[in-house]
Amino acid sequence: MLESLFGSRSCERVLLFVLARDQGYPREIARFFETDYRPIRNQLDKLEKGGVLRSRLAGRTRLYSFNPRYPFLRELKALLEKAMIFCPEEIRDKLLMNRRRPRRRGKPL
Amino acid sequence: MKSIAAMTMAELAAFVQSCLRTRGIDVVLSGGACVSIYSRNRYVSMDLDLINTRFIRPRWSDLRSAMQEIGFADEGGHFAHTDTEILVEFPEGPLSVGEEPVKVIDELRLSTGTLRIISPTDCVKDRLTWYYHDNDRQCLEQAVWVAQEKSTDVREVERWSRAEGKLKEFQRIKSRLLGRP
Repeated sequence: MLESLFGSRSCERVLLFVLARDQGYPREIARFFETDYRPIRNQLDKLEKGGVLRSRLAGRTRLYSFNPRYPFLRELKALLEKAMIFCPEEIRDKLLMNRRRPRRRGKPL
Repeated sequence: MKSIAAMTMAELAAFVQSCLRTRGIDVVLSGGACVSIYSRNRYVSMDLDLINTRFIRPRWSDLRSAMQEIGFADEGGHFAHTDTEILVEFPEGPLSVGEEPVKVIDELRLSTGTLRIISPTDCVKDRLTWYYHDNDRQCLEQAVWVAQEKSTDVREVERWSRAEGKLKEFQRIKSRLLGRP
């Protein structure tokens, strides 16, 4: 959808993933879209360098999220929100239906 | 001309900027180095963030060639010089504080050249973005230091904070920016 605008499918995937889940790490995003790790990693690097995303370490994992200081963040998110509406329902549901609240260790499902 | 080893942070920034300017590269100093300069080194930054102010950003090869001319080596993302510990970086633009572009650029004439730098008011806003969005209290202290040392338009900071959706947060720190206990 936004591939022609962003210049790559991986870039679009990364941004949609981060929009839906607030944050993500390269392997998680690659696994979700069943794609190679390297192009996802490259896009995350590029977007961080460009100030669109920022990252922090959580244990040994580098988590990426939107950079709240990016001056076009509000507009970018609006564009991605609209793109999300056009996403196939199956992908949209899978992206959005992700448990974020805590679950006690050892608690049965 | 002073040697690079003897230059203060502001002098070094002015020197680098002046050299780049002769190559048609216009950059402005932003970030922590401005806090160092405005707070008289109550906070010590070790890098110069120089942000392009032209619509088209310079090519990395042009930056590298200009920086090499004054002895800085490209270390992959930043430039280093053997005579100083201060690193030079060129973060991606645009020059902004939060969602707004920086409109006023101050100029300080130094012995090594003219330093183009964001104003103390924009420096305070720049630090507050880290406090507002990341709850970085060190950056709040830096904003207070700049406001204490330099004439800062606190009403403008209030207007900007409102536009950023952070008016409540601003109200909590306003007295500190005004130098009241």
